[in-house]
Amino acid sequence: MAYEFLLPDVGEGIQEGEIVKLHVKEGDKIEEFDTFLEVQTDKAVVEVPSPVTGTVRELKIKEGDVVPTHSLIAIIDAEGEEPAAEEKAEAPQAEEPKQADQPAAEKTQTAVNAGAARKGNVLAMPSVRKLARELGVDITQVKGTGKHGRILAEDVKSFASGEKVAKPTVQPQEEPKAAAAPATAKTAIETTGTEERIPLRGIRRTIAKRMVESKHTAPHVTIMDEVDATELIALRKWGKTIAEERNIKLTYLPFIIKAVIAALRQFPTLNASIDDEKEEIIIKNYYHIGLAAATDNGLLVPVLRDADRKSIFELAEEIADKATRARSMKLDASELKGSTFTISNIGGFGGQFFTPVINYPEVAILGVGTIKEKPVVHNGEIAIRPQMFVSLSFDHRLIDGDVAARFLSRVKQLLESPNLLMMEMR
Amino acid sequence: MVVGDLAQEVDVLVIGAGPGGYVAAIRAAQLGRSVTIVDKDALGGVCLNRGCIPSKAIISAAERYMHIKEAGDLGIEISGDVSVNMPKLIEWKNGVVKKLTGGVQSLLKGNQVDIVYGEAYFSGPNSVRISNDESSQTYKFNDVIIATGSRPVELSVLPFDGKRILSSTEALNLHEVPKRLVVVGGGYIGLELGTAYAKLGAEVTILEGTKSLLPGTDPALTKMVTRKLKKLGVTVITEAMVQGGEVNGEEVTVRATVNGEEKAFTADYCLVSVGRKPNTDELGLEIAGVELDERGFIKIDNQCRTNVEHIYAIGDCAGGVLLAHKASYEAKVAAEAMCGMSSVIDYQAMPFVIFSDPEIAYTGLTEAQAKEEGYDPIVSRFAFQANGRALSMNHADGFVQVVADKETKQLLGVQIVGPEASTLISEAVFAIEMGANAEDLALTIHAHPTLPETIMEAAEGVFGNAIHMVNKK
Repeated sequence: MAYEFLLPDVGEGIQEGEIVKLHVKEGDKIEEFDTFLEVQTDKAVVEVPSPVTGTVRELKIKEGDVVPTHSLIAIIDAEGEEPAAEEKAEAPQAEEPKQADQPAAEKTQTAVNAGAARKGNVLAMPSVRKLARELGVDITQVKGTGKHGRILAEDVKSFASGEKVAKPTVQPQEEPKAAAAPATAKTAIETTGTEERIPLRGIRRTIAKRMVESKHTAPHVTIMDEVDATELIALRKWGKTIAEERNIKLTYLPFIIKAVIAALRQFPTLNASIDDEKEEIIIKNYYHIGLAAATDNGLLVPVLRDADRKSIFELAEEIADKATRARSMKLDASELKGSTFTISNIGGFGGQFFTPVINYPEVAILGVGTIKEKPVVHNGEIAIRPQMFVSLSFDHRLIDGDVAARFLSRVKQLLESPNLLMMEMR
Repeated sequence: MVVGDLAQEVDVLVIGAGPGGYVAAIRAAQLGRSVTIVDKDALGGVCLNRGCIPSKAIISAAERYMHIKEAGDLGIEISGDVSVNMPKLIEWKNGVVKKLTGGVQSLLKGNQVDIVYGEAYFSGPNSVRISNDESSQTYKFNDVIIATGSRPVELSVLPFDGKRILSSTEALNLHEVPKRLVVVGGGYIGLELGTAYAKLGAEVTILEGTKSLLPGTDPALTKMVTRKLKKLGVTVITEAMVQGGEVNGEEVTVRATVNGEEKAFTADYCLVSVGRKPNTDELGLEIAGVELDERGFIKIDNQCRTNVEHIYAIGDCAGGVLLAHKASYEAKVAAEAMCGMSSVIDYQAMPFVIFSDPEIAYTGLTEAQAKEEGYDPIVSRFAFQANGRALSMNHADGFVQVVADKETKQLLGVQIVGPEASTLISEAVFAIEMGANAEDLALTIHAHPTLPETIMEAAEGVFGNAIHMVNKK
């Protein structure tokens, strides 16, 4: 019998995923547990194994589709079982044309006809089906958002706009008429150059959604300060050689994490979130530190769980591992959630101060800029010292300016005198 | 082409003015095309002149006659004889037809469609020759829609003579009620007319070649009809293979093999209704290069386009189900496609109606078909006996049956046998077309006391909570 393969829930409660790669095509044989496809959830790429051994009869999805969990993605003819009923050839009925008053051709509609009238394939009102035709949309490809997958006019419209961009089209300026084709008529603006349209999908879509959500919800305030990094540099230099012996790449981040955790203990409202629904403040007594990591696909935030209970070396090792896996999209969805405070380090790319966006529902984020030598007043004299630029964005609903300033001063103090970190060690 | 023959140039030509052709002509005109329609006979085609409408007129008259005869049950006493004046009945029927064909004519004129009478024969892919008794003229066109319909199949062993051996056409124009009528073919045409004449007083025998009346129709529906036929005194003989027949003056004898025995059936008239065939053989389609299938139907795509780009075909001549409403539907698709619109044949449910007694109507999938398509169907049936309106009409035989998908409760099909089934089915077609599930039907208020309440009840029965019946657990 035909096995209906529904997209499983690949992460904890994930609603939908983008099909990034299909490992099979129609007609392929597949073994149970072999990789069927790769699906990109909010932040990770997950391999989905085939649930049965058999032959792929029909794929209901294609690469690039965003598919809701539990929707039908393929029909597999499971091995050892008969093909589904609908495939059985209709037994030609011996007819008695001379005696049968049945409308003669009842069962011999032309092929196209029969296809058009097949039942149950598309759940959509006639007007919606017409709209699909007018927009040039193959309605069988549209996912319905209505009850039982009913396809609504909105689904067709959004599919139409999505599909238009799915095929990156370059509109040459010499042909303004091409731009005014019905499908793009509404958005066509006379351009002087060319433009490329790329679907907003996967990670980028998630980033966009999260950023807007954060900025809409949390009133952001950012304070900035400079940290004299002389001692931190010396300490890291000293530690680096030891780390190298252990094959660990030691960066400044583990030290910054430790400084942040020490400060968070002192100012717990920065390691918190607001439950908007219940109107409650949740103070967290655990320290899962999110690290904003740049990847080719966009921003990812792997989480270092219980960072307070890990040594500097352990953190360094974990950071290296997670950053590598983030770049190759091999992180598990669970490794990308649950952080309580996030650090965004753009130092490697050269910026100084910036206004990081809070990783909502957290309430604060530390932005770390580059370390740069600059003239400063040191011990009453102008001296050239390495300065590290730090920025702290915080949710002003929960954190007042003085608390934030004291927190950042504490972080500064701990980083300027890293020996203090040892004093704070538990 | 005759020397000196000047071709008339037209934009769109529609061949055939039946429920396919005239609809296509009007729609094309509405879309701004200049349209010419040609028919060799009266406007309205078989449907208006020799099919749907005249048969329904006669069926209504026969039914009225029955009602009057049965009115005693309702306490209506009639003194004196009730009788049928057949010529007057036919005159009234012709009046109905005339009114409708006149309506078609004024609609065509109102849409600036030119009407030409004559037979069309292709002289090339872009031209036809139209001939009538007086003249012959070549027409050149840009686009053409073929809507030539179908005609009754003739049995070689029992050819029509138009006097005693009749096709449905002549059977709709009898000026007397036959004393005895033999109907060859128990499909819907034979059944409808056989029933009507039985009600008007004829002794009717129906000979059907297969195992049951209405082959292809759900036997559960047919059973109710068979029962009623028995009451009306109609003899139904199935698996009867007609071998031949002879006309002797005012009598006709039909010979048929039944159970290996040859039997003779004598009557004053014999109606042969064994199917219809497409009118595609006398059009010169091969000259236009239009392809037919092996049964003579024109092959079309889902926009009703033939293999020749600018030639469209719709309705009976293009195959599929031979129904007027299917022709009208395709007419709009073809006309719109011809005008560059994206219309295609795209329906979820086709209604089928049979004006038997009681009426049968169905759409979508039966339980068996639903299983074949891979559904797990759930079936709910509600009897008209439990419907107040049906009882108060004194017509409570039959039932409404709803087939839904067990999991989603999506409506897959509805079968009705009972009073006004032909009217009731539209709600079901609409519901399926809208993608409704049984719950949608159940949650829709149906006026009381009316027949459509049965559809609501049957839909509720899908959930096991119909009010007016004890639901199966």
